[in-house]
Amino acid sequence: MNRAVLIAARLLQIVPTFLAIGLVVFVLARLLPGDPVSAMLGDRATDEAVTRLHQQMGLDRPLWAQFLLFVGSVLHGDFGTSIALRVPVTAIIAERLPATLMLTALATLLAVGIAVPLAFVAATQAGRWPDYLIRAVFQVGLSSPIFYVGLLLLTVFAAGLRWFPVGGYGDGLAAHLYHLLLPALTLALSFSAVIMRNLRAAILEVLQAEFVDFARSKGLSRRVVLFRHVLRNALLSTVTLVGLQVGALLGGAVITESVFAVPGVGRLMVESIFARDYPVIQALTLVLAVIVSLAFLATDLVQMWLDPRVAR
Amino acid sequence: MRRTWLRTGFAALVAARILALPHNAEAATRGGKMVYARYADSLFLDPVLNDANTDIWVLTNLYDTLLAPTKDGLGVQPGLATKWESAADGKALTLTLRSGVKFADGSPLTADDVKWSLDRARDPKAGAWSSSLASIDQIDTAGDTVKLTLKHPDPTIIPALATFNAAIMPQKLFEAAPGVTPEDKAKAFAEKPVGSGPFILTAWQRGVSMTLRRNPYYWKPAEDGEALPYLDELEFQIIPDDATRLLKLKAGEIDGTEFVPYTRVKELQADPSLRMELWPSTRVTYLTMFAGTSYKDGKPNPMANVKVRQALNYAVNKDAVIGITTLGLGKPMRSFMSATTPLFVGQDLYKYDPAKARALLAEAGFANGFETSVLALSGNADEANNLAIVQQMWGQIGVKLRIDLVDNATRTARYRAEDFAMRTSLWTNDISDPSQITSYAAYYPNIHSLHSQWQDKRVDELFTASQQEIDAAARAAQYKEIQERYAAAAPVVFLYETPYPVAFRKNAHGFVQIPLGNNLFEGAFVEK
Repeated sequence: MNRAVLIAARLLQIVPTFLAIGLVVFVLARLLPGDPVSAMLGDRATDEAVTRLHQQMGLDRPLWAQFLLFVGSVLHGDFGTSIALRVPVTAIIAERLPATLMLTALATLLAVGIAVPLAFVAATQAGRWPDYLIRAVFQVGLSSPIFYVGLLLLTVFAAGLRWFPVGGYGDGLAAHLYHLLLPALTLALSFSAVIMRNLRAAILEVLQAEFVDFARSKGLSRRVVLFRHVLRNALLSTVTLVGLQVGALLGGAVITESVFAVPGVGRLMVESIFARDYPVIQALTLVLAVIVSLAFLATDLVQMWLDPRVAR
Repeated sequence: MRRTWLRTGFAALVAARILALPHNAEAATRGGKMVYARYADSLFLDPVLNDANTDIWVLTNLYDTLLAPTKDGLGVQPGLATKWESAADGKALTLTLRSGVKFADGSPLTADDVKWSLDRARDPKAGAWSSSLASIDQIDTAGDTVKLTLKHPDPTIIPALATFNAAIMPQKLFEAAPGVTPEDKAKAFAEKPVGSGPFILTAWQRGVSMTLRRNPYYWKPAEDGEALPYLDELEFQIIPDDATRLLKLKAGEIDGTEFVPYTRVKELQADPSLRMELWPSTRVTYLTMFAGTSYKDGKPNPMANVKVRQALNYAVNKDAVIGITTLGLGKPMRSFMSATTPLFVGQDLYKYDPAKARALLAEAGFANGFETSVLALSGNADEANNLAIVQQMWGQIGVKLRIDLVDNATRTARYRAEDFAMRTSLWTNDISDPSQITSYAAYYPNIHSLHSQWQDKRVDELFTASQQEIDAAARAAQYKEIQERYAAAAPVVFLYETPYPVAFRKNAHGFVQIPLGNNLFEGAFVEK
């Protein structure tokens, strides 16, 4: 199978995933106790007010009719109007998605940037003090709750040293990146711990492989062996891990976005679930599912590049 | 009616002077910008169709009402109307409009706008608030007077005209908004609302910030006779996390913030660069008990017995709860309504007495106690604290309390279905009148008295009569009896009232939060 066919096949796989997720999220959202009307009107709602709003929103129609309406609209590229915010869902997601994508991308870059060199050092120095030190520090990173790390970074680097703004998002791309650096670092710390441990183990394993001995006996320098042969092979499983973690990272963004006041889709998702804002929950789940699917596809492509056997 | 008005007018003057005192010492700074952090963004800035405090509490900065609540929340003062007079039989109200008032786009505010706005607000099909204006039968205008003909005498109509949903909107601009249906027009108009209030919304990045510019046509003068508001620009930043908001305040990135957690108040009071403000509020915190004879599953309900409900109240040491949850900032509830509500009559409610609680339980046939549960909001620290203490205190009289943590929509759904034993509750008034809270908490026909199914026919009668009682003394007597009967029947576990905790940088002044919660920024300024 060549690369183009593989990509096409993977893209096609997204379609049934999309449909299945659409159905599941439609049903799940409605299984939650309460509905948009009770969330909206709160404790003061009278029966009349509730009935009237139900009718206005079409929530009095049978579920299957609501589902068909939803699928039909989505096929026309229309995700409907947010119940709580009264604006088109597409517009609100388009407004909020970039912040989360930038935050996730930045966090991934930072995590990889931190983890790969340190894993390399830890593995090549295995059993000596640099290895212990690196692993101990990352253990702390891994076991600290995100909201706590976030507040700590804010207190020290933003409120204390004033190197960064205390949360927010700023105006313009440069300001966005500047504002997102601390939240991205927060996310990256625990993420990089996962990558570091995985990569360190992989490097140690590859170092035991016969081809490494062979390469060395061929007279290749230690540097060439380590970078061209060991690291490339060890990175294979790490790339899979990074790809799989994108979903988890999006999940972690929910808390980070709240602590750092970043207007991303993580916060939007939580607010929408609290408001039982069905159109937003549905659309957002679908959009996130596509992003995760694309991340998996990207992972496959990188793997193919690292190890041509994957494409065969 | 006239006398009442004069009296409340005087009270308003006194209150305004007291509240204005701290700023009299220094002249207000004109111009500049204030940044104020809010925990959540507004959803829908339509005075009539909104549902949330995040909308209601900022609408006053964009829109005016004919009358305005006084800063102490107990009465009304002139707004867009300068005079108002009730007919002798209480079945009509004539208001004189302030002359020369303009909307923020420069167009004049007319009696037609008033009639159109009030007709829209009282349409029973529109919004959750229309009932406050339900007594209006007809609205007539002549020149600068507006006459409301009422279906029956209505003592609540004056405070209702000072409530957010009776805001005056520009009919022509609203009708020119894009959209075919009135709902579509309302959505479009609420994105770029234009009113006659001190500010106009110029930019809104949802979930991030709202920018308000001063309305150059605002009618209200400052104490020195110059125009209000002082600020050129007011920015609301949305920062959901409590700790982050306070870090931003300390770092000087914002000038003020709402909802300071009680646990942080002392720390901020001690910070020389900040000023902690605790505004009297109508906010009361209590536990609602289901009082029907049996639960949804058919099991008998111990709380149907008034002695059990009284016992549960006697077993709670309110001072201890206040000390732990609010660090002493709260005050025990003395009625089901806050002490800041008009016609409030307070009494010491259920002084902590575990022996009496045990005796009452025994009389009710629960000498060995019973098990019950409470629905509480997950992630809410105040509720968690309250319940931990209550759980322990009730444990001492043999009542085992299970705490079920849920989200708000779930709690509301179970509440509306009357499928709960107890729930955590919090209330703030929207109107300067006791009728709103009473219609929900005590008057059965509306929502079964907080969906508790507790009913006292005498209270229902008193409330119905009070809704048409224009003799102030008679109405006060009715409310006294309602509050006494409610306290004795104890359909709720009375806890505490708390102020609104707001913090500012030392150089930011003039913000007012009235007991109803409305945030007033017309007199706010930031010293250079």
